[in-house]
Amino acid sequence: MNERISITIEMAQSWGYASGAAMERFSAGLRERRIEALKCSGCGRRYLPPRPFCGNCHLELDDWVAVADEGSLEAWTVVNLPMLDGRTGEMREAPYGMGLIRLDGADTTLNHYLDVADPEHLAIGLRVQAVWRDELRGAMDDILHFRVLTEGP
Amino acid sequence: MIRHESINIPFNYAAGQAGSAVLLALRDEGRILAARCTACDRVSAPARAFCPACGSGHVEYVEVGPGGELLAWTERPGKGMFGLVKLDGASSAVLHRLLCSPEEAVVGRRFEARFATERRGHILDIEGFIPEQGE
Amino acid sequence: MTEVAVIGSGQTDHGRKRDDVSQPELVRQAVALALADAAIEPERLDAVVISNMELFEGRALPELWLGEGAYAARKPCLKVATGGTSGTSSCIAGYHQVASGLFDVVLVVGFEKHSEGHTQTGMALTDPFWDRAVAAGALGNFALSISQYMAERGVTQEQAARVAVKARRNAARNPHAHLQMPDITVEEVLASKLLAHPVHLLDMCPQSDGAAAIVLAGGQTARRLCPRPAWIKAAETRHEQPFIGDIDRRLASMRTLREAARSTYAKAGIADPLRDLDVAEIYEPVSYAELAWYEALGFCADGEAGRLIDEGVTEMDGTLPVNPSGGVLSANPVGASGVIRVAEAAKQVLGRAGEHQVAGVETALATGYGVYAWADALVLGATP
Repeated sequence: MNERISITIEMAQSWGYASGAAMERFSAGLRERRIEALKCSGCGRRYLPPRPFCGNCHLELDDWVAVADEGSLEAWTVVNLPMLDGRTGEMREAPYGMGLIRLDGADTTLNHYLDVADPEHLAIGLRVQAVWRDELRGAMDDILHFRVLTEGP
Repeated sequence: MIRHESINIPFNYAAGQAGSAVLLALRDEGRILAARCTACDRVSAPARAFCPACGSGHVEYVEVGPGGELLAWTERPGKGMFGLVKLDGASSAVLHRLLCSPEEAVVGRRFEARFATERRGHILDIEGFIPEQGE
Repeated sequence: MTEVAVIGSGQTDHGRKRDDVSQPELVRQAVALALADAAIEPERLDAVVISNMELFEGRALPELWLGEGAYAARKPCLKVATGGTSGTSSCIAGYHQVASGLFDVVLVVGFEKHSEGHTQTGMALTDPFWDRAVAAGALGNFALSISQYMAERGVTQEQAARVAVKARRNAARNPHAHLQMPDITVEEVLASKLLAHPVHLLDMCPQSDGAAAIVLAGGQTARRLCPRPAWIKAAETRHEQPFIGDIDRRLASMRTLREAARSTYAKAGIADPLRDLDVAEIYEPVSYAELAWYEALGFCADGEAGRLIDEGVTEMDGTLPVNPSGGVLSANPVGASGVIRVAEAAKQVLGRAGEHQVAGVETALATGYGVYAWADALVLGATP
């Protein structure tokens, strides 16, 4: 049996994505620590992150509504497995907490990091609040993570 | 607003049966292996597991080259010369670097492989093709 | 519309690292087995459908490279890349081709070489504005949804572990499976490493290298070539919205799977799935997902999934055996996994499932699952 040869190749590519009007306005808001959602005139669903169309109604979205930077935890986990971050080629270390957060004023939930990485201290229903980075670039990760505030309702 | 993003992921591809045979022959013997299809006689260089013409998996490895005929060439500014070389014994051409000037690249001229002194089991164990010596 | 049947299938032995073969060689192994099983020559193929995701293999146009392995050169060939549903969606694409009457014999092949790349990493590279900066990978995303599902439907870690035990014990009678654990216990599952709360290592599917292929044929040809074709009675596929948070209570609601199942059941004449189906091969990337699928597929009412696994209803000797092959929990070469579901369901109807054959199968269900909630459902049967 022949020796088995393998070839290693690093995929290293870069892209420049045009953001579109909805994201531009959303990004401008983030630079001022303001979060907004887009409300569908058909089904009334308030969408976060912004996108040009409602997937349910196929209507264009242009009705902006204010959203608080605080909400409730609808799902949570603590990830123990490090994962290769495809943006940098470096490992993202573990453990870290993640949640699905329903911000007050939005109907979709937001997938984001939590400042707690202990299953004993996480539960559905806890109130959480966004913690912002010092430098705001108008990007979604201007929110560093969500801080757990109090026990749930 | 433009969002700049990168993707950086390493991949490690198994060369497989045919690929390993080619790369080992390059590394250890400085020979170029092709695959002769026992069903339709087509010779594909470098060797691969299945005949591109008829799909048969029944192939025999045969040596081709190191010389052959230049079928086409181009120069990419800043990147160098590239050409399609039909190695002696092969049915199709191989794309590789040409180590020559545009003036030396003439369609129909004979070229030959120049092997690297340090070889590691990689297609670049052939550094490129040079006009055949002693022509 | 032309009647369509699966007349043969083939799979590699799925494993952690197939570095003995290149991607086209891996594909050829499954394709050669499928053609032999179908008793047809490659020249007889009218078209080829390939299931694989570009970013997972790190190569532009993977179908170009491995097309030769699938006898695709100079034939109509298209690739279907829809996450985990790639395999089932590819089978449905092939089904549409034959059902249209425009093609008579179509090969569908799916493959994956997890060992060569970083599929979890690739999967996290979705929306560039939001998702990539806050990615937890497929594992983290599942764990999030599972926390909601447990709270709403009351399933326990033990019940999920029972699903994992069933899968790996069934896999012990499937020579192609990656994970075969005939003696695995619930305690072992719960003691295995906690990957992301509450998901343990043994609750999760493996990362496999492997390929699988099926051959589809139109009515007359199927009857001529195959003594007992596995007819595709109905097949539906449903897409979803782009962000994980768009879908309320993903595992509990699963609107795509519910709608796809309802539509295929109606077309196939399935009124009561637990009674009218003889076997099911469903796409369960994590143990908890199988419980959620029991409810979404109408095997039981919402909130009853735990009872189903506790009472052994879905064991090999139960009312409706689920995943005799061991499922995705026992082998997950992602691009191939959906094709494996259809191949295994077809094998049950064809009577070719060997040691994991369920007796007397007339009707089988195959499902696919992908990304946040894409779903496919197919019903196969002994009659068209």
